[in-house]
Amino acid sequence: MFHTEEESIVTMINHIAQNNVSAGSESEVADIVENHITKFWSRRMKKILAAQLASGTAEFEPAAKLAAEQLSAKVNVSA
Amino acid sequence: MLQHFDPNKDYGTPASLSEKMVTLEIDGVEITVPEGTSVMRAAALHDINIPKLCASDNLEAFGSCRICAVQIEGRRGTPASCTTPVDAGMKVTTQNDKLAKLRRNIMELYISDHPLDCLTCPANGDCELQDMAGAVGLREVRYGFDGNNHLDAPKDQSNPYFTFDASKCIVCSRCVRACEEVQGTFALTIDGRGFDSKVAAGQDEDFLDSECVSCGACVQACPTATLMENSVIDMGTPEHSVTTTCAYCGVGCSFKAEMKGDQLVRMVPAKEGDANHGHSCVKGRFAFGYATHKDRIKAPMIRDSIDQPWKEVSWEEAIGFAAKRLKEIQAQYGRESIGGITSSRCTNEETYLVQKLIRAAFGNNNTDTCARVCHSPTGYGLKQTLGESAGTQTFDSVMFSDCILVIGANPTDAHPVFGSLMRRRLREGASLIVADPREIDLLSTPHLGNSTHLPLRPGTNVAMVNALAHVVVTEGYEDKDFIASRCEGDAYAKWREFIIEERHAPENVEEITGVKAEKVREAARKFATAKNASIYYGLGVTEHSQGSTTVMGIANLALATGNMGREGVGVNPLRGQNNVQGSCDMGSFPHELPGYQHVSDAVARARFEKVWGVQLDDEPGLRIPNMFDAALSGEFRAMYVQGEDIAQSDPNTQHVEAALSALDCLIVQDIFLNETAKFAHVLLPGSTFLEKNGTFTNAERRINRVRKVMPPVAGKEDWEVTVELSNALGYPMNYAHPSEIMDEIAQLTPSFANVSYDMLEKHGSLQWPCNDEFPMGSPIMHTESFPIGDEGKALFAVTEFVPTTERANGRFPLLLTTGRILSQYNVGAQTRRTDNQAWHDEDILDIHPHDAEERGIKTGDWLGITSRAGQTVLRARVAERMQPGVVYTTFHHPGSGANVITTNNSDWATNCPEYKVTAVQVEKVSQPSEWQKNFQDNHERQNEFLRGAASSADAVK
Repeated sequence: MFHTEEESIVTMINHIAQNNVSAGSESEVADIVENHITKFWSRRMKKILAAQLASGTAEFEPAAKLAAEQLSAKVNVSA
Repeated sequence: MLQHFDPNKDYGTPASLSEKMVTLEIDGVEITVPEGTSVMRAAALHDINIPKLCASDNLEAFGSCRICAVQIEGRRGTPASCTTPVDAGMKVTTQNDKLAKLRRNIMELYISDHPLDCLTCPANGDCELQDMAGAVGLREVRYGFDGNNHLDAPKDQSNPYFTFDASKCIVCSRCVRACEEVQGTFALTIDGRGFDSKVAAGQDEDFLDSECVSCGACVQACPTATLMENSVIDMGTPEHSVTTTCAYCGVGCSFKAEMKGDQLVRMVPAKEGDANHGHSCVKGRFAFGYATHKDRIKAPMIRDSIDQPWKEVSWEEAIGFAAKRLKEIQAQYGRESIGGITSSRCTNEETYLVQKLIRAAFGNNNTDTCARVCHSPTGYGLKQTLGESAGTQTFDSVMFSDCILVIGANPTDAHPVFGSLMRRRLREGASLIVADPREIDLLSTPHLGNSTHLPLRPGTNVAMVNALAHVVVTEGYEDKDFIASRCEGDAYAKWREFIIEERHAPENVEEITGVKAEKVREAARKFATAKNASIYYGLGVTEHSQGSTTVMGIANLALATGNMGREGVGVNPLRGQNNVQGSCDMGSFPHELPGYQHVSDAVARARFEKVWGVQLDDEPGLRIPNMFDAALSGEFRAMYVQGEDIAQSDPNTQHVEAALSALDCLIVQDIFLNETAKFAHVLLPGSTFLEKNGTFTNAERRINRVRKVMPPVAGKEDWEVTVELSNALGYPMNYAHPSEIMDEIAQLTPSFANVSYDMLEKHGSLQWPCNDEFPMGSPIMHTESFPIGDEGKALFAVTEFVPTTERANGRFPLLLTTGRILSQYNVGAQTRRTDNQAWHDEDILDIHPHDAEERGIKTGDWLGITSRAGQTVLRARVAERMQPGVVYTTFHHPGSGANVITTNNSDWATNCPEYKVTAVQVEKVSQPSEWQKNFQDNHERQNEFLRGAASSADAVK
């Protein structure tokens, strides 16, 4: 069980990465995770994810972190 | 030859499926029928109606009453027409003096031991015995009535819904055969011999105490008043009927609502119902009393705070109050600060309107539905692999299955009418594999042949499905032709490489699942070598942290063995509520517009924007759990909930209650003051399925009409309320009838393009996709290609098993799994307000004898059940059907607090809660939990607020 919303968002992205771990290399898994979040997560969830990434304190799985970075980069570019 | 038949007529014996035709002569008329047809049916098809008592066309011929005797040229005696199959060139006489005398003599014997109280009998005017006495011209009973008889035989009134009056029984065995052949329970028998023969339930017990499941098949079959609905005994026979669709489970049975004026006398399963073919269960058949229960909300109500009493107001004031609040909140906190939840119990048209209201009038995608907490992984997993978020078959398809694999489903309790059909196929010889922690009733099917139970540990479905697939591939059972022609090559190659890894071998998975490797191998071989193998699954698959993975693993298994695209095979999610499929189809999810068109799809969005006249958000909105989190953070302030009780049904109750308490405005539209409504500021009266027009879509994608049989208690159908709320918000909606809403759905949803009320009237029901490509609908999907990718080829998915983080340990050594029971439905709001309470008036904790003994627990003890999320108290039942280490309960009673202990773990892809795995400890206690005490206090306070509103309204009047 997780407790805060921030913790749950990090748990969720890690969970997505873990469940797709056999899909290929870390970068391939990250692409799947990124695509999943783009497709299914709300604006608010993505915002919390970006904040958690920026905080530098959240414990991300490597592929999850890469996906979060890719998502943040896209947001920054479009911004 | 196509036989046109009248569903309201009983043809005496079942239809023959033979394609070979036979021509014979009956009463000088030349008749051609399929080989195997009985003489009785052949005659009836041509409107030559031979008298009958023990025959019915939903039962195999029995030949006991002999009243259907005929004469056949060249044959001796007077054979029963029900048990005599037609023969080429046969010449049959159905009526002459000899036959007339014989029939009269038989009837005379029947009537000599039957009460002559026709004028006061509840079956008066609806009695086959009475009809036949008239048909054979019975005018006297020469034997008198003074001899030994059964006229004083006692009544069995133990069942709350029907009475068994043995004095009226003619021992035709129709009830016994209906229980066996239609329902498959075998609860009834003929006890004794000769004059002492009588119908007996169980071991000569009361009906209520026997194995009888009160499906009503015996009542339906009875040709006299022996088995009669109590409602008919009380109210008399109905005078008109309306065909509609049941609002309980995802089977979607058709019923004739038989009425007297606007009063519902009884629900009779419709023979022409494409999903149920005249069968029913205790819920659909009998549990309709909630519609007129005193607890119904009959007037709109408002209040400023949930600590205040309700104020009964006009519709106009309530809608105005709600709209004003929503606008103010959006003005202050932003467009995304409000949202809503559609209902899987409401019609397609109502669900469509609620999501339209949210997307168009609220201006965001914060719409979700109760499918989030049940079958959202089905939507995800099947879309990823097969390209469509739906089951692939008809229910009837199971009759062509040679091997049936049931994973995490309990059809005889949760989808009873389909469970009976499945049992029929199992009696015919299909083999059964059940993967479930519990020994479900399907495994006790009378006359079940080859069956395998894989009693896996909760949370290990993915490991099990992978192990089955591993055996299929490594032992060479793959359907290589199917894979080569129907599946995408790269995805298959990747999956194959994954699945042949030794870690998926049953021997290596045994430690995870707890199931012996050889048993898994045997099951895999059985599945893979069957000519037609089908998979049925339920919430025991989806409600896990890996629910979506298991769904994809199931699709992999079907694809690898080529069990797709024809009768008897396929992947079949058994949907929980009546319109779960429909609510998903109608765009209830935050990321999808109706027809599963993603909100980011600019082309699809443009079509909706053009028809709806607004610009739509291209980002997914909040899911239900996100709404709760956002409410607690203060960013989400208002919610419109139609026909869904999130406070009872969603996991981690304390979290849900805190979120609902944090809202500035909660608008609940429901038929009762449900648990969610106790946190509401606006309570809008809902309408039951009996009070509205619309459609439901069942688990086989069948769109069925819901027809209004009585006026809504508060004057409005649910869709009308949504229209008024939308108009009050300034977004105009103008519909005069739900058919117009369906026309708009068809215009915007490619899979519904040809659906209209006219088409539904014409065809009875339609299975989507129903469009120019499939003008008459699609009973079996994916026959030629899959709606996925450029080439229409199915995609194998790599299904990694990631164990749940919710694990048993020293502190919480047992795993709790939750489920349903036959007599109650979901949160119980409907069935708890019926006599179904006779079977299940409280939720019980089932525990294995070993675990019980270790803790000194006996059946009936009060148990404290503690998880990482909370504690509740339930009574114990020591049950062999459990495996050691696993406990089980239902969640039909809100005071049980089953979801106080479930956690907020959820499926990785969809956030469907992990209801099926909660680590707990149980111990004997002597008082309710703190949550239960608080629940009871709040329950009494909120009901007092409700009573206050009604009495103040009365005072004003």
